[in-house]
Amino acid sequence: MNYAPVLFVFIPVITAVIIYLFKKIRVSFVIFGSQALLAVLFVFYLFHLNANPDDALIVFGGWDERFAISFYIDQLTLIFVGLTLFMWVTVLLYTYRINKRERNFLFFLLFLEGVFMGLLQTNDLFNLFVFLELVTVLVTILIAYKKSGQSFRAAIYYLLINTLGAMFFLIGIIFLYYAYGTINIQIILANIATHSDTNLVKLAYVFMVGGISIKAAFFPVFTWLPRAHGVAQSTISALLSGLVVKSALYIFIRVNNQMFALANYSMDEVFFWIGAVTATIGVLFALSQKDLKQILAYHTISQIGIIMMGLTSALMNAQVGGLLHIVNHALFKSLLFLGAGIVVKTYNSKKVKDIRGLFKTMPWTSVLLIVGMLSISGAPMFNGFVSKTLIKYSDFGHDSFKMILFAIINLGTVTSFIKFSQILFGPKVIEVQEKNIRQHISMTIIALSCLAIGIFYIPIGNAIGLDFGYVKLWDISKFLEYFIYVGLGFMLYKFVIAKDYWFNRKLRNISITFENANYLFIVYMLVLSLFMFLL
Amino acid sequence: MNPILTFIVILIGIYGLATSKNIIKSVFCVTIVETGIILLFLNLGNFEDGTIPILTQLGIPIVDPIPQALMITTIVIGSTITSLALMLCIKIFHHYGSIEWKDVLKKGE
Repeated sequence: MNYAPVLFVFIPVITAVIIYLFKKIRVSFVIFGSQALLAVLFVFYLFHLNANPDDALIVFGGWDERFAISFYIDQLTLIFVGLTLFMWVTVLLYTYRINKRERNFLFFLLFLEGVFMGLLQTNDLFNLFVFLELVTVLVTILIAYKKSGQSFRAAIYYLLINTLGAMFFLIGIIFLYYAYGTINIQIILANIATHSDTNLVKLAYVFMVGGISIKAAFFPVFTWLPRAHGVAQSTISALLSGLVVKSALYIFIRVNNQMFALANYSMDEVFFWIGAVTATIGVLFALSQKDLKQILAYHTISQIGIIMMGLTSALMNAQVGGLLHIVNHALFKSLLFLGAGIVVKTYNSKKVKDIRGLFKTMPWTSVLLIVGMLSISGAPMFNGFVSKTLIKYSDFGHDSFKMILFAIINLGTVTSFIKFSQILFGPKVIEVQEKNIRQHISMTIIALSCLAIGIFYIPIGNAIGLDFGYVKLWDISKFLEYFIYVGLGFMLYKFVIAKDYWFNRKLRNISITFENANYLFIVYMLVLSLFMFLL
Repeated sequence: MNPILTFIVILIGIYGLATSKNIIKSVFCVTIVETGIILLFLNLGNFEDGTIPILTQLGIPIVDPIPQALMITTIVIGSTITSLALMLCIKIFHHYGSIEWKDVLKKGE
């Protein structure tokens, strides 16, 4: 039981190899066995860790912990590992019907799970880099798996720009090693104050956070994300937006909120505004899109901005809100992507205006999509509401400008999902028999967990030692506020967005080339260094 | 070798990424950035008169072995990425008949 975290990494990898070696379709059923095994192991490990907190640090090979490769498991890791397991179970359930013959696909998918678990648990900065690069390579292969021209070009765009980001992260690691003589995260964390005023460590911080920004898709460097989401299979889009982007935010929490927390660099305000701009720009682009998956992809960007606004706050409750929003966003965005996958496959079109009458054609899928839409727009009783309320904890420290900005972002989200919901209305267009039971089961599980977090958030918070008492669900003003948002959003949609004015068309046709994406990255790094060293 | 020189190598790679119009050139610019990083780290662990870090007898000044151990891994990762990217280049050439970013990233299709 002591070495269960190692098994979290190796069980998926070994399952992947088994699927690859045995060519029978029946063998590929082993993926569910491995996920069940992982879930049981995870529950037992939770109890074990509760009884012996000293086992959080796992050192391999019996070396001294200063030199050895090690895993470190704290509460943050456990939350992410649980989320990863949940997402993979639901996604595998969803994808099994389509992809059970594609053993290469299942091989890469399960391999990615193992690598991802490693990324979450490692206690060594260089291993973090290695896992990050492995995730990049595997996701590239999965994006390109459709083997169309568009998927290849999205894959190479993704691969090259993310590798550049990871390389910058590596430069930061090198500087930290030069300053502290170790790459063990816990030891650097304990001794960060000894060298943190030197320019070298400041530069290391800028390089690490700047490199991570590409993977997390912050404002100027998000250009790879809509391309990658638009062309990948919906399974991969769901994973990409639910977890792979979150891995960068996980590293951001580790680096910014934990490792350099004592260094007092006062960069939090800068990252708050980067998050705010990311959220606004994401919503603006989402409003101009006509493609189902592109709308969802740009919403991933805007939700990441909202998460950043929470994570970089000085208030503890808002930070918890950001963390909770990571989990919530993973749930509802994967629900929306998986639902959109079924819709796109049935109607054979991605355009919003071609798809009509979904509610009469596929009632259960549309109910699930409605749950996702209500969650993402922050309706009371759904999980988006809890975390968004926490993020604007005590109204951002009574800053009215921040409140107005948040309200605008929320209004944009509501409006673009009113646009998205146009696919539900209208008469029945085509005759479909809904027989994809497994896909519906997996989506129903996600939808139920959205509702569960939305209603029973206080007991869930108590179970992991957090207090969500600030969020008052049964408050009539919250419901009223949401209805006002929906009314305003409907008007905005009817009179501005649906008319498709020139600025909408202009925004839709913006396409940033690879060279310009690199320029933007250089400018972004320069701005970060400016704030770090001069202001 | 001066660490400043390695920074110049990294900057050449980034300049190439921001200006090259050809996908294969971009792939090699990423490789150049990576080479610069490897040189930088090996440089920081090195000093004059240091010998290889294999202890045959005590008292001999040796260079820091950790950068070398880490950088060999980075070289492996870099070769993986280069080969994957070049494979994608071949596929893109089959689909679009060109490996210029301008032709490939046109909207639609």
